[in-house]
Amino acid sequence: MRWARANLFNSPLNGVLTVVFGGFLAWAAYRMATFVFVSADWEIVRRNLTLLMVGRFDRDQLWRPWAALLILAVSIGLTAGMVGAAAADVARQRGLPVAKGSLRSAPRRFWPLILLIVVLVAFTRTVAPTFLILGVLVAGGVAVVAGQRVPARLRRFGWIVFVLGFVGAIVVLWAGGGVPWDGWGGLHLNIFIAFAGIILAFPLGLLVALARRSSLPVVRVVSVVYIEFFRGVPLISLLIMAQLMIGFLLPPSMDPPSLVVRALIAIVIFESAYIAEIVRGGLQAVPRGQVEAAQALGMSQFSIARRIVLPQALRAVIPAMVGQFISLFQDTTLLYAISLFDVLTVSDTTTSQDAFVGRGLQAVVLPCVAFLFWAVSYSMSRESRRLETRLGVGVR
Amino acid sequence: MNQRRWRWVALFAVLSLVLGACGSDDSNDAADDDDDGDTEETVELVQDGSRLDGIIDEGTFVCGVNDAVPGFGFTDEDGNFSGFDIDFCRVIAAAVLGDAEAVEYRPLAAADRFTALQSGEIDVLSRNTTWTATRDGSEGAAFTVPTFYDGQGMMVRTGEYESIDDMGGTSICVLSGTTTELNLASRFNAAGLEYEPLSFEDNDLLRESFISGQCDGWTSDKSQLAAVRSAYPEGDGGPEALTILDETFSKEPLGPAVADGDPAWYDAVNWAIIATIQAEEFGITSENIDDFLDSENPEILRFLGQAAGEDDAVLDPGLGLPADFAYQVVSQVGNYAEIYERNVGPDTALGLERGLNALYTDGGILYPPPYR
Amino acid sequence: MASVTTRPPPWRDVRVLRVLLQLLFALGVVAVVTWLFGNLVTNLDQIGLSTDFDFLDQPAGFQILGSDFRASQTVRDAFVVGITNTISVAGIGIVLATLLGVLVGVLSLSSNWLVRKAATIYVETLRNLPPLIVIVFVFSAVILQLPRIQEASEWFGLVIVSNRTIGLTAPAFEGDSAGTYALLLGLGVVAAIAVAVWRTRVHRATGAPHRRVLWGGGVLLVVAVVGWFALGGPLVLDRPQIVGVQIEDGWAMNANYAALLIALVIYTATYIAEIVRGSIQAVDHGQTEAADALALSSFQRLRFVVLPQAFRIAVPPLANQYLNLTKNSSLALAIGFFELTQTTLTIIGNGNPAPQSIAILMAGYLVLSLSIALVTNLVNRRLQLVAR
Repeated sequence: MRWARANLFNSPLNGVLTVVFGGFLAWAAYRMATFVFVSADWEIVRRNLTLLMVGRFDRDQLWRPWAALLILAVSIGLTAGMVGAAAADVARQRGLPVAKGSLRSAPRRFWPLILLIVVLVAFTRTVAPTFLILGVLVAGGVAVVAGQRVPARLRRFGWIVFVLGFVGAIVVLWAGGGVPWDGWGGLHLNIFIAFAGIILAFPLGLLVALARRSSLPVVRVVSVVYIEFFRGVPLISLLIMAQLMIGFLLPPSMDPPSLVVRALIAIVIFESAYIAEIVRGGLQAVPRGQVEAAQALGMSQFSIARRIVLPQALRAVIPAMVGQFISLFQDTTLLYAISLFDVLTVSDTTTSQDAFVGRGLQAVVLPCVAFLFWAVSYSMSRESRRLETRLGVGVR
Repeated sequence: MNQRRWRWVALFAVLSLVLGACGSDDSNDAADDDDDGDTEETVELVQDGSRLDGIIDEGTFVCGVNDAVPGFGFTDEDGNFSGFDIDFCRVIAAAVLGDAEAVEYRPLAAADRFTALQSGEIDVLSRNTTWTATRDGSEGAAFTVPTFYDGQGMMVRTGEYESIDDMGGTSICVLSGTTTELNLASRFNAAGLEYEPLSFEDNDLLRESFISGQCDGWTSDKSQLAAVRSAYPEGDGGPEALTILDETFSKEPLGPAVADGDPAWYDAVNWAIIATIQAEEFGITSENIDDFLDSENPEILRFLGQAAGEDDAVLDPGLGLPADFAYQVVSQVGNYAEIYERNVGPDTALGLERGLNALYTDGGILYPPPYR
Repeated sequence: MASVTTRPPPWRDVRVLRVLLQLLFALGVVAVVTWLFGNLVTNLDQIGLSTDFDFLDQPAGFQILGSDFRASQTVRDAFVVGITNTISVAGIGIVLATLLGVLVGVLSLSSNWLVRKAATIYVETLRNLPPLIVIVFVFSAVILQLPRIQEASEWFGLVIVSNRTIGLTAPAFEGDSAGTYALLLGLGVVAAIAVAVWRTRVHRATGAPHRRVLWGGGVLLVVAVVGWFALGGPLVLDRPQIVGVQIEDGWAMNANYAALLIALVIYTATYIAEIVRGSIQAVDHGQTEAADALALSSFQRLRFVVLPQAFRIAVPPLANQYLNLTKNSSLALAIGFFELTQTTLTIIGNGNPAPQSIAILMAGYLVLSLSIALVTNLVNRRLQLVAR
């Protein structure tokens, strides 16, 4: 009661606001609840769940996506554990508060993801996926704990573990009678493109950022043109260009790469321009005095970059990189515009099936896809903010 | 300050790049007019051999398809492509490679289908595409016999409009980047009528827009309109609530296409499709085909690749297809009637009668050229 | 220049090496670009596609929603309509998104728990959704649910809402003296600015309150009202009305345009709200306390102390969001609004050459983006000068 008076009705204006906003929120919650539990017919999602997840992946080979998911979960867990522990060390050195993560705080931190998993499991028609998901979760959790226990001097190789895990997942999916990436689809394709995009775009973006700070004017101009050009056009126009024109830009003797590869090329080029700007921000954040001190010690240009500037700059850009990754993940829905079989395209094709055609079921499928993206993005952005406070980025 | 200057340099560099690109396009074009090197290249291309040989070596080919048109091309819940146009990809595979499943499907949007064909990304386009002179000519496509004769019509809510000439000033829903959009413009302009076009890339939103009353009419191929009408929800009044106007204001012969300049491949695709129609005329289906292998009729024997006629030899018409290609097509995929009934016929969600798409003997216009 | 004698040989001279290195780099870049471009031309020639821009003068063959564009007009005109639509949606979108974003940003710092929560829920829900999905959602869940034109709801005869068109009342000049009145209004604006400048000078010189908005606005109002009566009411309210199955007169806003605008505004506003919140929090707490010590009201504190400083911090990230909004307008292709991308795709789909069309598409966005960057840079520079 006292809390309500202090927080909701402490002035006449606030009283009115409370009533208006409260009414609106209650109405919205009611509408949503009736939609989810009463009016929507979720049969279309239930029957097409596999299609939404892995697209046209050979149904006899479904163990491969599961194995790949397990490998990814373990490698992400390990990397997250290592980065988290390193960030906690930084925070401790600087005397910043470290919120200790524990199993008990996990539901509060990851409730959107947990909700997502519950929803997905509710849509499955057999028991097996439930146990497989639980297995993947346990493996991921164990990996996080293991990652935190990795000795401090090995932590800097965390990203290598992740890249290796990602490559391993691709190998499992593809090698020895598996399915090459042209046959991938659904959410699986979105995740693959997002990860591959950021992994490949990072080194390129780093190069462009360094070029932009080069002392050679020509190199700088080319880098600036590159950045401004690709940041100035929408991703969708690059994707359309990749789809329609990469075939024309190669010599006639060369076979055009597959559609997935072309989309990836467009995404890598686009993302690298953004990453270059992020990295430049990180480079500028390194105090000039440090470079001068290193020069005074007689260190070479290369070893100054390698030992002084880059480690600090790259640590400072981790949260911004997570943000960039989230926006890339959301942008993978644009694959829809070039007819790649991503999860949004799948949601579109399900409403053309005989059993569901012409019933206006887009209103059911689309919210599911939206929820998927929301849960993943929201969890990641929360974790990134947590990391940000730990690394003390933005706190001076 | 330095920073800002570079931004300007960048702006000018980019703009001059763009302008330069436009400019040098023209100059290149002019230069090519008096350049005779081109012809040599074309000859080389032909000498390189037909796409057909490459496909037979490879054991598979790429078929450009649609993945969200009910009845014609969509993905089922197990991730398989399915539909009328998809079956014709399988027909080609069965004829050329002897295996109806040896197809790699490539879903395409309306806007990029011809570019995909031109750049050689796909070997066949089977994506309910209308055969027009421009597409045959400057778009570099070569169309086979049509697999489906359609016509553009207009669907309205029952009782609102009686004919297109009443529809001045209305809003019309249409799919963008298609001949439908162009036909709509010419039909209304010819009658001197104003209209507002609502064009969508995607059938689903188009349908929602129409149902919500955002537009007064929906124009598309009549087969598509019939499909929408028959599936119209009972809650909104069922099929009776919609009327497809009688007028058909365009001819839409839909069929597969290959890239120009490869007669051998074109012939192979064309005759694979003709085989389905011929089989229907002979009454051969996937069920009873083996009974025909010892038929009395020399034409049927010839068609199925059996020795026939006075000289008792197997006919090789020189199409580059195996002698038993018709047998493979019909036994693995079926004849035209089977393909039609299975995907779009009266018992399916689309519920389309044969109409024009019946054999010439049944009042339609399907007329297979003789196989001899 | 005594050092000339001790100059090292050219192959070890840093200055020479730098020039050489740059020359090599430039040559490399030019070589790659030339190679790609050469391939393009060769390939197009081989398939017999045109490499010129003659198609721009061909008739487009299709019509565009909500414009006077007719099928007989050229492809060039279609591009113009497309880019105009993009500019229109981006321009209005930027203004509305800023207003909504600032409002939500301020609300998210409210002392009312529920208001704060509502603002957070709004921001965290929308900014974690892909913009493409937001656009499709707004279109099918909001716009299409509006009444159809036959049952359109009218509000006081000023606004007509239907899921086809939304008609708003707009002022319109009418009659013979309309031109004179427009001229008069222009003069009024000039006079108002002059008065405002004069009040600012007075304020600087004497310290008296400037009240320049009041003074300037007053002058303009007087000119407008007196002129209106003197010239016999040349400016009238142009009300929308339903003619047949369309809304005409007034400002008839196409529903698909409205869907895109709403989606872009509510999506971008979440980012702007976060920027505003962050910038307000970044204003030194001592400033707020000083304002409290001077007994400023909470509105005065916000208006004169906090927001001006927060604005300065917010400009560079805001510029980024404006760019994003402009680029996200390209996602309208899902809902059939003819902005630049959708127009280009339709043009390509109707048989015009893809490479040239795509070049025009990209050049269009590039010019837009660079113009926005230029304007925001100018604003930023001005603000920073004021700060010093």
